[in-house]
Amino acid sequence: MTAIPADDAALSDSPKARGVFAGPLSAFAENKLALVGLGIVVAFILFCYLGPVVYHTDQVHIDLSQATLAPSGAHPLGTNEVGYDQLGRLMAGGQSSLEVGVAAALLATTFGTLWGAVAGYAGGFIDSAMMRIVDALLAVPALFLLLFLASIARPTVGLLILVIALISWLSPARLVRGQALTLRTRDYVTSVRLMGGGPLRAILRHIAPNAIGTVVVNATFQVADAILIVAALSFLGLGIPPPAANWGDMLSNGINYTYDGYWWLIYPPGLAIVAVVVAFNLIGDALRDSFEVRLQQR
Amino acid sequence: MRPRKLVFSPARRPILVVLLLVTTLMGASCAGQTTPSSGQPVQGGIATFAEPANTTPNYIFPFMSTAYFSVTTVSDLQYLMYRPLYWFGDNGQPVLNDRLSLADYPTFSDANRTVTVKLRDYAWSDNTKVTADSVVFWINMMKAEKKNWAVYVPGGIPDDIDSVTADSPNQVTFHLNQSYSAKWFVYNELAQITPLPHAWDRTATGTSDCEHDVGDCTAVYDYLTAAAKTINSYATNPLWQVVDGPWRLKSFNADGNISFIPNKSYSGPNKPHLAQFNEAPFSDNAAEYNVLRSGDNSIQVGYLPPENAPAKPDDQAVGHNPLENNYTLDRWYSFAVNYFVLNSHNPKVGPIFQQQYFRQALASLVDQKSIIKAAVHGYGATTNGPVPTTPSNPYASDMTEPNPFTYDPERASRLLADHGWSTPRDGVGTCERPGTGPNQCGPGVTAGTQLDFQMMYATGTPQINLAMQQLQSSATKVGIKLDLQGAPFNTVIGTAIPCDAGKPDCNWEMGNWGAGWVFAPDFYPTGEQIFGTGAGSNQGSFSDPKLDQLIAVTQHSDSPEALQAYAQYGSQTVPVIWGPNYDYAETEIANNLKGVTPQSPYLNITPEDWYYVR
Amino acid sequence: MTGFITRRLLQSIVVVLLVTVIVFILLHLLPGGPARAQLGPRATPAAIATFNHQMGYDRSLPVQYWHWLTELVTGNLGFSVKFNQSVASLIGERLPKTLVLTVLSTLFALVVAIPLGMVQAVKRNHAADYAITFWAFVFYATPPFFLGVVLIVVFSVYLPILPAEAPQSSSLGVILSQPGGLILPVLTLALLTIAQFSRYMRSSVIENLTEDYVRTARAKGAGERSVLIRHVLRNSLIPVATLLGLSLPAIFSGALITEAVFNFPGMGQLFWTAAQTQDYPIMLGITVLVGVATVIGSLLADLAYAVLDPRVRYA
Repeated sequence: MTAIPADDAALSDSPKARGVFAGPLSAFAENKLALVGLGIVVAFILFCYLGPVVYHTDQVHIDLSQATLAPSGAHPLGTNEVGYDQLGRLMAGGQSSLEVGVAAALLATTFGTLWGAVAGYAGGFIDSAMMRIVDALLAVPALFLLLFLASIARPTVGLLILVIALISWLSPARLVRGQALTLRTRDYVTSVRLMGGGPLRAILRHIAPNAIGTVVVNATFQVADAILIVAALSFLGLGIPPPAANWGDMLSNGINYTYDGYWWLIYPPGLAIVAVVVAFNLIGDALRDSFEVRLQQR
Repeated sequence: MRPRKLVFSPARRPILVVLLLVTTLMGASCAGQTTPSSGQPVQGGIATFAEPANTTPNYIFPFMSTAYFSVTTVSDLQYLMYRPLYWFGDNGQPVLNDRLSLADYPTFSDANRTVTVKLRDYAWSDNTKVTADSVVFWINMMKAEKKNWAVYVPGGIPDDIDSVTADSPNQVTFHLNQSYSAKWFVYNELAQITPLPHAWDRTATGTSDCEHDVGDCTAVYDYLTAAAKTINSYATNPLWQVVDGPWRLKSFNADGNISFIPNKSYSGPNKPHLAQFNEAPFSDNAAEYNVLRSGDNSIQVGYLPPENAPAKPDDQAVGHNPLENNYTLDRWYSFAVNYFVLNSHNPKVGPIFQQQYFRQALASLVDQKSIIKAAVHGYGATTNGPVPTTPSNPYASDMTEPNPFTYDPERASRLLADHGWSTPRDGVGTCERPGTGPNQCGPGVTAGTQLDFQMMYATGTPQINLAMQQLQSSATKVGIKLDLQGAPFNTVIGTAIPCDAGKPDCNWEMGNWGAGWVFAPDFYPTGEQIFGTGAGSNQGSFSDPKLDQLIAVTQHSDSPEALQAYAQYGSQTVPVIWGPNYDYAETEIANNLKGVTPQSPYLNITPEDWYYVR
Repeated sequence: MTGFITRRLLQSIVVVLLVTVIVFILLHLLPGGPARAQLGPRATPAAIATFNHQMGYDRSLPVQYWHWLTELVTGNLGFSVKFNQSVASLIGERLPKTLVLTVLSTLFALVVAIPLGMVQAVKRNHAADYAITFWAFVFYATPPFFLGVVLIVVFSVYLPILPAEAPQSSSLGVILSQPGGLILPVLTLALLTIAQFSRYMRSSVIENLTEDYVRTARAKGAGERSVLIRHVLRNSLIPVATLLGLSLPAIFSGALITEAVFNFPGMGQLFWTAAQTQDYPIMLGITVLVGVATVIGSLLADLAYAVLDPRVRYA
């Protein structure tokens, strides 16, 4: 989610030059929704990584005679269509969804930031060419691109991360380029040039750190979007192959049983996805509000 | 069930009178009842048939390329209007149907090298007759355009015909290049012939002579194909109005809504009872099921999606029908085998796949019965060998549980261990005794080779998903590691192809597109196209000289045991790994519509036999 | 001003060409090639060679691309073998239905999101803002197919008041005559866009509320409501207009999934079917269409922005 900066908090904060993160962090802590988001993420991390230690299930061998059982003492959330315990699968799926989401976000943000910084700093024809490529990729609907890309690459976890990153790097590229355009006219950047410093130094030591707020905010949203994209890919039949578990996969398989009343196949993974994505969005939104406070202090 | 035409011969007249009296009395007594009586056809009415999900007939010209070849296009459009020379599927059995054929069973002479076909008296709707020329028209077109014929195989028809002559308006003689088995030639070669009307022997500029001169056929083919590509003109173009089947088009919509009305000049024995026959498209199973459930009576012959069917008990043929208030459930079997293929030309794992014991072990890991129960609630049958055993048919007799390799992980483990493999549970087995001896891994398999394979399977169908996970899971019990890779159906069939070792397209290991092979129009299941060395549809490049020899016998000998010998050896040597053969459909038939059953295992429909009862 | 327009126009053309190149290359990287996909498992090597030759797939990539591009310019989008129809006629059949879906849902989203965004901005950092923000996020975070299924379960299974499937006809008239079947798909698609639009509106209104002209208007004695509607609203809508233009790809992606869930016979479903069968002509045709629509959309948005806000022209 890219948005125009909004600064409702600028009216109340005092313009003191602090470190890059100190101001934002305290503003963040004041935002109740952000804390809720953080709480949800932490809870899910504990659930997905510590849960299997406490609650053992076999997520590798199937038993067709145990398929689609309703929730009971032995299986608190029932079993799925091949006999896996659904609660255990939710934990395993969460690990996979979170890992793919974070990895794809990091990859996309890093690549996009560099692309945007170079384009914004260089300006002129290079900037124009680089951004036209971004525009072209943005003009193709993400899902259409995904269908193409995922048909080429037979999905493994690594390739999935790559595919998601390939369509996600566009928004940080645009954002950072915008920032770089503004920042390159700043005094401290022109003085680096005058002093004979190369473009790399200017980019790495001055533009990037000042754009860091934007980058961090965007990365948070990327994680949320990546989890949604994995779900969409699974729905279209191009997710991670079994026996690997994944919330998106569980949800899209479960949907086949809408009319059969097997609610435990549909709602647990669906609500898990919604909760985690909401949480990351809340965190990202709050981070953006807090960083913009600082940016407004010129 | 099907109303029979009474034969008026002198000897039968007294019986006839008695029959007439009896039926009249029965009719009179049934008149006031509300429950439908079985056997009093009511003329007229409209019946609508639900097309399979996301599939619609879309090509009208019977001489089509593989791109257009599908069950729906052939059975639900072309065959209704343009009858094939011979009809297959009789009373639910996969055999020749003499009654609906356009010619008598051929006579074979000269050591089966001369085949004489006597045509019956059938007419085209433009007042011409179906003559020998109509047959030669088709054969000539095959000769000129065989690369555009959907099921052409090199060496098959028309290559095996040295010459064809129209001896008289109703007799055709073929001279073959070799001696062939009569059954094979009728069921698999003559079965591909659809006589074409003289009215089609033309190009844009005027009449042509493909019926007598092969050189004219390409231009005629181009003209007819161009007409077939304008789908919106199917109901209006006078070309397509010339039919010899029981139906002709009333309206045709590219989205799949099609209506037929009876062809008044149909010469066959089963003239339509209905006044109109419609086909309706559905984009998925749920859409069709919702219509049936709503009870709005817009579909008379539909299907119950297996995922919505209550589980079928093992000891019954048909389970509970949730739509029984309005519909009757009948299983529509398809005469087919389902399997996935192993690439025996893969440089790394090909040598392992070439070992018979390995294929037998792998087959023993497939739990077909559990998959059928879990995936389609019991509405399927196991595939036990290269010849289908369901529905029961004359080719698979003497076989009650013929599959020598049913689900048995213990047997799989034993087979592997006996041939020098380690079988660590949840691990990866390796070859510990390389060599060519009877208890060693086999030729081409080096020490330390691992049982680690990649399986590419078609995504989007829960059945295949389930079957693959079952196989992967049971393979872990014997030390076989399966890497599942899902891909769209078309990627799978584009990748799992016959290839040469060493070429870049030969790196695929196992491929499962979930559809197997339906025996149509190769109605006699001799398997030369799928299991013969070098055959075009032998995706895994399987090669076994003994199997080739047994196949050759079925093609060239009239011995009735030939097919059974082939089937038994095929079950033993496991050329491909068999999988469940799911029913083509669980047909739901409106309670007041009769004549729909028994359904043909070759998937034809004969709506001319359908009739309403009061 | 004309300089600005010409520049943007040229840039748009370049972008569209880039789109076609990208899509073309991607499609031809697909393994298996279109021949096997279209012809099925029974295809013999001879049949494949014939097919490739007839469709021109055996020529070099640049030649194929040039050929396709020149055909495109004359309006010929190719022929789909699987459907036995021209791509143009298939798209022509399906596009109006997708347009109905996307236009209705976008209008509905705007009608709800704009006032919602204003409310959030005016009552920012209070309970109402938090509550609406939270629900906006929930809808944004819900995978569209999950949302669709939940709506189906609630409105078709538990309270059977709406049909679970969109009207199944190929004719637009029939679909419009059964509005009941349109409600759930439109709602699903709209709820997702509402979430995003209301956030944008909120930010935009907040920014405008601190502007000088608002203070001036208040100082002159204008009532709060008049200030909001006559001044702030108009100015806040500008970035929303831009967002609309840029959201076209997202809306089409959402439409693809919504059409799959509700079986809506539109362009998204056509694309999905074509992707399954590697029907290159259809995939290319639809992607180019959507790409061009997006570029035009963003061009119009930029032009509107430039007309309304002179500061942008000199950027």
